[in-house]
Amino acid sequence: MAAASELPTLLGITVRRTLVVGRVSVIVGCIMVTFYSAAFGLEGPLFTSIGTLVLPIFAVSGGIGGALVFANDRTKGVLEYLVAYGLSARRILFNVLIAGLVQATIVLGVGTVAGVSSYLLSGYALTPQLPEALLTYTFPMSYLTVCMMTTVGVFWTSLSSPRAGMNSPVGVLPLIGVAPTSAALVLALSLRTYTSQVLLGTELAIAVIVLLLITRTSQLMPTERLLSTA
Amino acid sequence: MTPEVLRSATNGPRALLTCRGVSSGYQNKPVLHEISFVVDEPAVYVVLGPNGAGKTTLFRTIAGILRPTAGEVLLDGVPIDRQSSRDQLHYLSHLDGMPDGLTVRESLDFYARVERASPADVERVLDQLEIGEFSDTFISRLSSGQRKRVSIARVFLRERGIYLLDEPTANLDPKVAREIRTLILELSKERVVLYSSHNLFEAREIGRYVIALKSGALALFDKMENVRAAHLVIGVRTLEPTDALAGWERRGDYYLRELQSPDQVPGLIRDLESKGARLREVREMENPLEDLFT
Repeated sequence: MAAASELPTLLGITVRRTLVVGRVSVIVGCIMVTFYSAAFGLEGPLFTSIGTLVLPIFAVSGGIGGALVFANDRTKGVLEYLVAYGLSARRILFNVLIAGLVQATIVLGVGTVAGVSSYLLSGYALTPQLPEALLTYTFPMSYLTVCMMTTVGVFWTSLSSPRAGMNSPVGVLPLIGVAPTSAALVLALSLRTYTSQVLLGTELAIAVIVLLLITRTSQLMPTERLLSTA
Repeated sequence: MTPEVLRSATNGPRALLTCRGVSSGYQNKPVLHEISFVVDEPAVYVVLGPNGAGKTTLFRTIAGILRPTAGEVLLDGVPIDRQSSRDQLHYLSHLDGMPDGLTVRESLDFYARVERASPADVERVLDQLEIGEFSDTFISRLSSGQRKRVSIARVFLRERGIYLLDEPTANLDPKVAREIRTLILELSKERVVLYSSHNLFEAREIGRYVIALKSGALALFDKMENVRAAHLVIGVRTLEPTDALAGWERRGDYYLRELQSPDQVPGLIRDLESKGARLREVREMENPLEDLFT
């Protein structure tokens, strides 16, 4: 008899499938972020002050793949199969969450490399503010946004009847993903003071939302919600 | 008929699969009501019922996907929610369950990982189900019949004690459907197979037992051979027109006669032949399983 711990996590193959299914959004995201970062990098300090604040928006386009795979798997009965073999709803959520983060990392990595390269090639000296902005805001905000978007997308999808297109939860997800970054950006730019506190506060708020959602997985996403109604 | 043939869920022999007073369904929507039966010998158990009768819900409950709101499902006496019980059954849903973004071979590798089967098993089922020719094709490019074959292939990746097959031959062409039925019949010599189908002729061909559901309740659990039609209607075709069939009701090429029992069929044939009728075919026109849908 096999014990529950012997069940495969399927993380690796989920990441791979997400890269295949979500490849278009990753490619589009990479192209857009390259142009954006390169343009801002040419402006030197502007990349540090504004460019790094906007980068998380592009990570969203990469991170959508996880929720997309979840929605497809639910509609096609793959989740039903996995649940029958003992995979938990939380494990399924983690898999698509990490898959989304991997994709977001690709877009984010391309954007960062393009921006920093352009910045340095334009003759600007690397100041401590740039890595600080990337490490304290751009990367954490991007990952938190993708986590929130994917978690909301997964729960929303599981609560909805399967449907495709812009009317589906996955279709609306990019707007949800962009919202926190846009709000933080508007708030920081309009207040012009306590900018770092505003940004940190936004990150903290998103982190709390994500943690709350994840800890409530079994209540928000009972097994039967993973079944296709088709 | 049910009470006589329904073996006791409490006093019967050691069972492979026991459903004891199982009620189940979805949020705010009960579907199954106090289903009890015991499956204790390897065979094909055909699960029948009209749309909405609860067949898929029964499969999902036995598979441990849906938790019973009352009663329990046991495999060899162990509750189904234990991983050791889940490891004893295969579940094939009525959906293909084919993951996007993978080729046929990669999909089977994916399933093999879940099943803890080996790459050699993947090669074996590719060959066994004759799907090797499109093993490198993406699932999204397959026809629905091909997808179904790949979906069924995963059931044969690894042997288990109980197979829950929800409409396994839907969307398959007759030749492939027959091959699948042959595989399943072979499997059922040593394994329990619960098999749902809307094809009543297929159900009669493959099933040794019938589990009939009606409005979420168990309407019948019996051996197939004990299922009798309320009316036995025999159809006769002859090689040429004959007066021997004068007065018989006609339906297409067939002349119909209602009998009380199958025991009357040999006498009927002898009688027709003695009157000079050259018989081409004698068949049962009504499928007794149809009565389960009314």
